[in-house]
Amino acid sequence: MSATADEPFLQAKGVAKSFAGIMAVHHVDIAVAAGERVGLIGPNGAGKTTLFNCLLGVVPVDRGVVQLAGEDVTRLPIHLRARRGLGRTFQRIELFAEATVREHLLIAERTRRGDGALWKDLLGRGRPKADEIERCDHILGLLGLAELADAPSEHLSLGQGRLLEVGRALMTEPRLLLLDEPSSGLDHDETVDLGRTLRDAQIDRGFGVLLVEHDVEFVSDFTDRCLVLDAGRLIAEGPTGEVLASDAVREAYLGTMGTVA
Amino acid sequence: MSAVLELRGVSAAYGPFRSLFEVSLTVGAGEAVALLGSNGAGKTTTARVASGLLAPSSGTVWVDGADLSGAPAWRYARAGVAHAPEGRSVFATLSVEDNLRLSFRQSKGRAGVGAALDRAFELFPVLAKRRHQLAGTLSGGEQRMLSMARVMVDAPKLLVADELSLGLAPIVVDQVYDSLQRLREAGTALLIVEQHVPHALALCDRVVLLGHGAVAWHGSASEAPTAIPDKVFHQA
Amino acid sequence: MLLGASAGSDLLRALVQGTPAGTVYALLALGLVLTYKTSGVFNLALGAQAYVSAALYFQARVSWGWPIIPALLVSVFVLAPALGFVLERLVFRHLRSASAVAKLVVTIGLAVALPAIFDLALGFHSIAGQTPVGIIPGGATVFYNPFGVYALSRNELMAVGVAASAMAGLAVLFRYTTVGLHMRAVVESPRMTELNGIRSDRVSSFSWALSSLFAGMAGVLIAPRFNTLAAPDFFNLVVIAIAAAAIGMLVSLPRTFAGGLGLGLLIAVFQTFLPRWSDSLPWLATVRENLTPAMPFVVLFAVLVLWPAIRRSRAASDPLAGVEPPPPAPAATTRSRGLTVATRVFAVVFFTVTGLVVFFRADASWMFLVTQAVILSLIFLSITVITGLAGEISLCQGTFAAIGAFASFQLVTHLGMSVLLAALVGAVIAAVVGAVLSLPVLRLGGIWLSIATLAFAYFFDSVMVKLSWVGGGKQALAEGTRLPRPLLGPFNMNDNRTFLGLSIILLLIVAFAVVRIREGTVGQTLRALRGSELGAQSIGISPARARITAFAISAFIAGIGGALLAIQQQNVNYSSNFSPFASLFWLVLVVSLGSRTVEGAMQAGAAFGLFDAVLLKGAVIGWLLRSPARIPSVFPLSGTWRFVLFGLGALQFARHPEGLVENGKRGATEAVDRWLAARRERSPVVERTTEPETAA
Repeated sequence: MSATADEPFLQAKGVAKSFAGIMAVHHVDIAVAAGERVGLIGPNGAGKTTLFNCLLGVVPVDRGVVQLAGEDVTRLPIHLRARRGLGRTFQRIELFAEATVREHLLIAERTRRGDGALWKDLLGRGRPKADEIERCDHILGLLGLAELADAPSEHLSLGQGRLLEVGRALMTEPRLLLLDEPSSGLDHDETVDLGRTLRDAQIDRGFGVLLVEHDVEFVSDFTDRCLVLDAGRLIAEGPTGEVLASDAVREAYLGTMGTVA
Repeated sequence: MSAVLELRGVSAAYGPFRSLFEVSLTVGAGEAVALLGSNGAGKTTTARVASGLLAPSSGTVWVDGADLSGAPAWRYARAGVAHAPEGRSVFATLSVEDNLRLSFRQSKGRAGVGAALDRAFELFPVLAKRRHQLAGTLSGGEQRMLSMARVMVDAPKLLVADELSLGLAPIVVDQVYDSLQRLREAGTALLIVEQHVPHALALCDRVVLLGHGAVAWHGSASEAPTAIPDKVFHQA
Repeated sequence: MLLGASAGSDLLRALVQGTPAGTVYALLALGLVLTYKTSGVFNLALGAQAYVSAALYFQARVSWGWPIIPALLVSVFVLAPALGFVLERLVFRHLRSASAVAKLVVTIGLAVALPAIFDLALGFHSIAGQTPVGIIPGGATVFYNPFGVYALSRNELMAVGVAASAMAGLAVLFRYTTVGLHMRAVVESPRMTELNGIRSDRVSSFSWALSSLFAGMAGVLIAPRFNTLAAPDFFNLVVIAIAAAAIGMLVSLPRTFAGGLGLGLLIAVFQTFLPRWSDSLPWLATVRENLTPAMPFVVLFAVLVLWPAIRRSRAASDPLAGVEPPPPAPAATTRSRGLTVATRVFAVVFFTVTGLVVFFRADASWMFLVTQAVILSLIFLSITVITGLAGEISLCQGTFAAIGAFASFQLVTHLGMSVLLAALVGAVIAAVVGAVLSLPVLRLGGIWLSIATLAFAYFFDSVMVKLSWVGGGKQALAEGTRLPRPLLGPFNMNDNRTFLGLSIILLLIVAFAVVRIREGTVGQTLRALRGSELGAQSIGISPARARITAFAISAFIAGIGGALLAIQQQNVNYSSNFSPFASLFWLVLVVSLGSRTVEGAMQAGAAFGLFDAVLLKGAVIGWLLRSPARIPSVFPLSGTWRFVLFGLGALQFARHPEGLVENGKRGATEAVDRWLAARRERSPVVERTTEPETAA
């Protein structure tokens, strides 16, 4: 167990969720500190996505508590959790159709500031200000998307789209970023590039990461600590290297293939 | 050996979301091939392409020597490809008998339905008892039996089976694999997507390992246990 | 007393009386559910299909003098299924992967276009007071009194008999035949059905034909209840059918049937007992005449708001739903800078020239039409906001406009407020109504939100308008809902030219405001939500708040436009301007010309105001002289072509949500760009990059 000195930013206690009588998540406790990089792995159907959705507020929990920076957010909707510092990306990218790359970031920045109002729009003060554009372009530079700033998001590759989602989330100054299977749909080289860029951005901005991922290599490269979920329960937790090497995890994650050899 | 199914350089995507990159694989007549890989590696997508549920964005799909790329799923079915999809694979709102009838009416003709039904109930007596019950009210194992009954009576040229054992009790999994073994013996080729690797390896001749939507390794089932963990865990 | 000695037999009478209508509602509702279940299309054009069969039957019997049997065969058993089959083949099969909302818009386009196409093709004119004939000799004159409480006409008995046997037939088909088995399978999962080697597209075609047959049958059976055959009445029927279908959660056929029959009975029971209750409960008296016809809309609205589970009823059941590709991303609507500048220059030149010509040369009738076009452009900007910007389909824009108009009328009449101030307050009231309306329906989203707005439009139409504090009541019936033209300092708006000037100024102000909103925070927020609701929430955007704002802005614009239209006509003219059917046509018009841009709204306004006059100049006089008594339908039939053209124009919404004009222009600029690029290649000069800019 690698306990962090910081007070955990995200803390979930006893989270349980069932669908039509089947327990998808079974009394799970997790805690992630701001600035920490944590992986969440597990076989198909282990409840990773459900747990993720419970943390984000996409589905309500049956039991348990979700806290952000000590505040109980169990009953808050998605967007209010987002405003409290919980950013995310999507496995199937959710970009804003018909908006350019920079516009994605600008709207996130404007939402973060929360100073948009109808009367300001009517007076012509709704257009992006110079400092907002500057902040956006800084993030775009960090993610290597600067040259695509004016491109419509439809023209991006999947990998670039993922990065744009990260950039959009970063504009809200999240303390923790939940990444949902960022490598899916990418080939090996694209995944390596994505991991490198994400890591640089993480070091630069200092946000925490909770990574749900099936690509073991990506998880072991990117995270320091790792949680393993199987059949809705946490079966292992600890430094990523140790966790991935343990027999129990190999068995759960790859069936019994590891032990066949 | 003539190929029942052949994918040549198939790429596929769900809208803008690409999930297969130039996958090629062959399933010979009567052969059993296991499709392995972690979640999101493209196994289910490959299975869907193989049975016509998803049209490839490039590349071609050949069934029994005929190019069926982009054809609707019913043409694959009529060419002898059966697909048991992941999760619920029966019509929940139809009775057990209607589920079977739906398939047999197509494959055996009006006259053959009765005999086919008898054969199915003979193979799986538990279904006979529940003949008029809605399939959605069956247990997970019984639903799997129902979809296996359909396939075993139809005896297709190829069965594409996606995660048949997921969520089933071990004893039911064994029954399912028994049925698959009998299908093999009857001459049906198999393309099996499976998480539970030992079962798959015991049944299949060859293994295709997918990673990031591409073929990462392929070879005989006997080589797989040594080759695959290194491939997946080479960093760990 | 609420319960008297005769209450029992009265209840029985009400039930007998309500059965014929109830069975026909059920028939239509089953038609609706059939296509929704097998192809995911919520077919608002079903009423139009019913109308077409009813009208052909009427035409064959009355004008051509055919006997009953051949007329029935051709109109119901040949035309109706053929129509359904053709619609599936030509339109809906190609929209499989389109979003539910896009499909809905397509059916609205068809609802507008189909009756018009039919009328034009056969030269059919409905004549006021010419009651449609039934399908049995002596249908309206021979009566039977089976229970000794109410005499059913032969037509009514026939309706019950035919509808009941049709539904029994459907039950048999579903339960005992192969095609019925296939249909049940397709309902659950088209893809899994295909895995069994069954052509689910053929099953869909068959379902469409069957659904259309039911609609045609319902149309012919219900026609004798109307005293004139008019397409909008049949559209009302669809809304009633939707209420019945919603009770059946849109999936269960028996419950749909029960819903339709139940509605018919409920209406009859209210008709019988409400007058009596209102004797003892005075507050009921005000709604007494109005609540009964509004029952289906009240039921529909209540079901939608209180029972949001219906929106999940379909997607949840198909295990292979994930196989379908996501709806294709619409064409990028980023315009090149060149196109934006060209559009603006053209617009300024065009409007200046037109404005000058109209100002100095036009006679009174043209002045009137141009003013109307300007005001409608303003109203259509409300659709630009709600549909173009927020991506929602609202079917009650006419109602918002009517609220603005009625509020102005009331404020001027009772408080003596100055007209322009009253129009402004009226618009604020409309905005408040829009915001309040959006509160309960926000959770619905997608097509259900549209249906809820439709229910609201009909509720307003059948109840609110008749209340004295809204529509003016008896006094307004006698004197009209008068609104004077304003006097603004030295400008007397009784002069049509000055009023046109005022309208243009207001249009420009609103257009300018819409552009600012679109470029500002509110517009960007709405655009983000339209692009991806999940994505927007993930960065802290509140969908509810954004949508309430959008509804309020849109209702405000519609309200101010509605008030202006009433001021122009110096009368509110509710039924000819703001009926639910008018809302439908407005939407179709704006969507087919371009709902994303300000110029799209202006083109739609011009098309609405001037299409008739330009196409058929003689109609101008008739337009000016019209009165509700002389022209009973919402729009004069002489303008039928615009329903056809714009109705069909709306069909492209699924592929080109930006509209015909915008799409065409984009094609043209791309061609020019290619040509320029080819030239540049031949003589290489300084490389030039075009910066994309958002559509203006």
